[in-house]
Amino acid sequence: MSILTWARTRSPWLIHFNAGACNACDIEVVAALTPRFDVERFGALIKGSPRHADVMVVSGSVPRKIRDRLKRIYEQMPTPKFVVAVGSCAISGGVFQDCYNVMEGVDKIIPVDAYIPGCPPKPEAILDGVVKLLMSAGY
Amino acid sequence: MSIEEHTKIVEDLVKEFGEENIYNTKVPRAYRAFAHVKREKLRDIVRYLKEEHGFVHITTISGVDMRENYEVVYHLRSEGFSFSLKVPVPKDDPKVPSIVDILNGAVLYEREVNDLLGIFPEGHPDPKRLILAYDWPEGVHPLRKEWDIQTIREKVDGKRWGKDVE
Amino acid sequence: MSEREFVIPIGPQHPALKEPESFLFTVDGEVVVDVEPRIGYNHRGIEKAMESRNYIQNLYITERVCGICSNAHQTAYTGAVEEVGGIEIPERAKYIRVFMQELERIHSHLLWLGVAAHEIGFDTMFYYVWRDREVVMDLLEEVSGNRCNYAMATVGGVRRDLPRDKYPKWHKMLDKLAERTNYYIKVASTEKTILERAVGVGYLGKEDMIRLSGSGPNARSSGVPCDIRKLTPYLIYDEIPFEHIYVDNGDVLGQVLVRTLEVVEAVKICKWVLDNIPEGEIAVKFNPLQRLPEGEAVYLVEAQRGELIHYTISDGRNMPYRHKIRAPTLGNIPSLVERLKGGYIADIPITIAGIDPCFSCTDRMAFYDEGKDKTWTWTDVELSKYRKEWYSR
Repeated sequence: MSILTWARTRSPWLIHFNAGACNACDIEVVAALTPRFDVERFGALIKGSPRHADVMVVSGSVPRKIRDRLKRIYEQMPTPKFVVAVGSCAISGGVFQDCYNVMEGVDKIIPVDAYIPGCPPKPEAILDGVVKLLMSAGY
Repeated sequence: MSIEEHTKIVEDLVKEFGEENIYNTKVPRAYRAFAHVKREKLRDIVRYLKEEHGFVHITTISGVDMRENYEVVYHLRSEGFSFSLKVPVPKDDPKVPSIVDILNGAVLYEREVNDLLGIFPEGHPDPKRLILAYDWPEGVHPLRKEWDIQTIREKVDGKRWGKDVE
Repeated sequence: MSEREFVIPIGPQHPALKEPESFLFTVDGEVVVDVEPRIGYNHRGIEKAMESRNYIQNLYITERVCGICSNAHQTAYTGAVEEVGGIEIPERAKYIRVFMQELERIHSHLLWLGVAAHEIGFDTMFYYVWRDREVVMDLLEEVSGNRCNYAMATVGGVRRDLPRDKYPKWHKMLDKLAERTNYYIKVASTEKTILERAVGVGYLGKEDMIRLSGSGPNARSSGVPCDIRKLTPYLIYDEIPFEHIYVDNGDVLGQVLVRTLEVVEAVKICKWVLDNIPEGEIAVKFNPLQRLPEGEAVYLVEAQRGELIHYTISDGRNMPYRHKIRAPTLGNIPSLVERLKGGYIADIPITIAGIDPCFSCTDRMAFYDEGKDKTWTWTDVELSKYRKEWYSR
């Protein structure tokens, strides 16, 4: 594989965006950093700016007000970029499917590469999803 | 405090303002009371409760669409005793006087009732839109009983959609 | 506004803030002069959805209003519905509900402590605290099966029982939590780096806090005794011996002290419940198609972040006519705005994190022209045109 792919898959930098979630998925994503689960052993770091990131981790059923912000942040990331949808609200709206302000699913706004189901998914499931994404990208 | 002391507070309020301004009073258990209040006397009653009986904390303001009119419910609290004042508002004149200068903590709750039910707080310093999206159309107040999920989606997105449509 | 002041938007996506929220800060140099909060990014339309689902379906939507306070919402919802319906729950169910609520309080306050340490730059403490928090997450998983969104309460009681043979192991885990929290109290009150960043930051006095109707640890750190568990006891809180924690510091150090001392009290309550729980049934039968009588009820609960209210109106069917939820953070925003005024920009993340917010928000860039008294925003096209003009000079 090319050296670029080798470099990119061994140190994916993540950005985490909460698109109107109840916070359960977000604290499991942050718990994936902590010493017991430790996503940093795969080379992943959580960064603050979308311009430094390779992978965007999105959680939440997307309410109307945050739709444009999500698209803006996706467009600010440099290619090649991946999107991971965490939690059943990000996949299809989850338990909020019949609510007037909810766009059901992140993939109606931006293209998604990996889905991690659960409500909320355990940190081990999030690590498993991230590793599978890296393997499919050529790890 | 016991249920007798709470009932005494409610009776003192009725004696001060009269039965035509406060009616349907209920004290279902200790620490809870409900009463209907006329819209014109709302500010005087809230000020009296704050100064005489120590109701300095406002928990929230709820708006309800009872089919023949609206009701705005003010939940006040004094050291554990929660007193809910219900103000009937006619549908053709959806306005209430604002109580922000008496109880400063009510500033965001009145904006929320304005967004979701369309009841305007007169005298509020900044009655802007609070929680609905910036491109949400005017006049669509989701909590009114005339709107349901599919009619809101038709009005805002231009079409009905969802799992029970196709 | 003088000529030196300009407006900075912060949010909704920002490395210092974990949730989507937006504030418009008017600053003069490094000092914050005015704040405008903008919320609504998390508005999903839950209250309208609850009017077309029956009381058992609404349990699952209520617990997902907030993932960190989910048990508090369930306690308030089931309490309000049971009060309208006149349903009495068994004693054992009350003890189990209190046990779950206090475990969730421990988990939420330890989470807050780690996030606050991260906001002031003390990442080592963040990792230490979250490693110790895994003890209470294991305990929650053993009791209920999930780390968040436990679904233990139902209308009429609780759904799962606590097996008696596990109590000695749980006592040991609770003792470990108390020992680690006492260590953090010692660190927070004596470590110079934390005191430099926490003492005097975001100060609000007692009269202002009462005037702005704050609640929860946010108000108790300014000296207002407002714990709902003591003022209007619900479930069995009037029988349990525990302290009413409030301090009069008024700043971020006060928030740290109140929350860590509450963790120690919560551990004591959990151990008392395990020692005194009576035998018996855990739930009364409740059918999803069962209709409730007409009526209304207000139920107040001391959630982790403050005072939570659920107000329900029933008109005789098996669905609520109107269910109103007011989360505690909405009531704490006016006091947050006062805390931010007069502070430095660098103290913004810790002051916002100090009230333990649980909400969402967004923002655009805005200009204020003093001379013309006009406010406008720039779109992307105008911004890139401005950049081209600037660099082509």
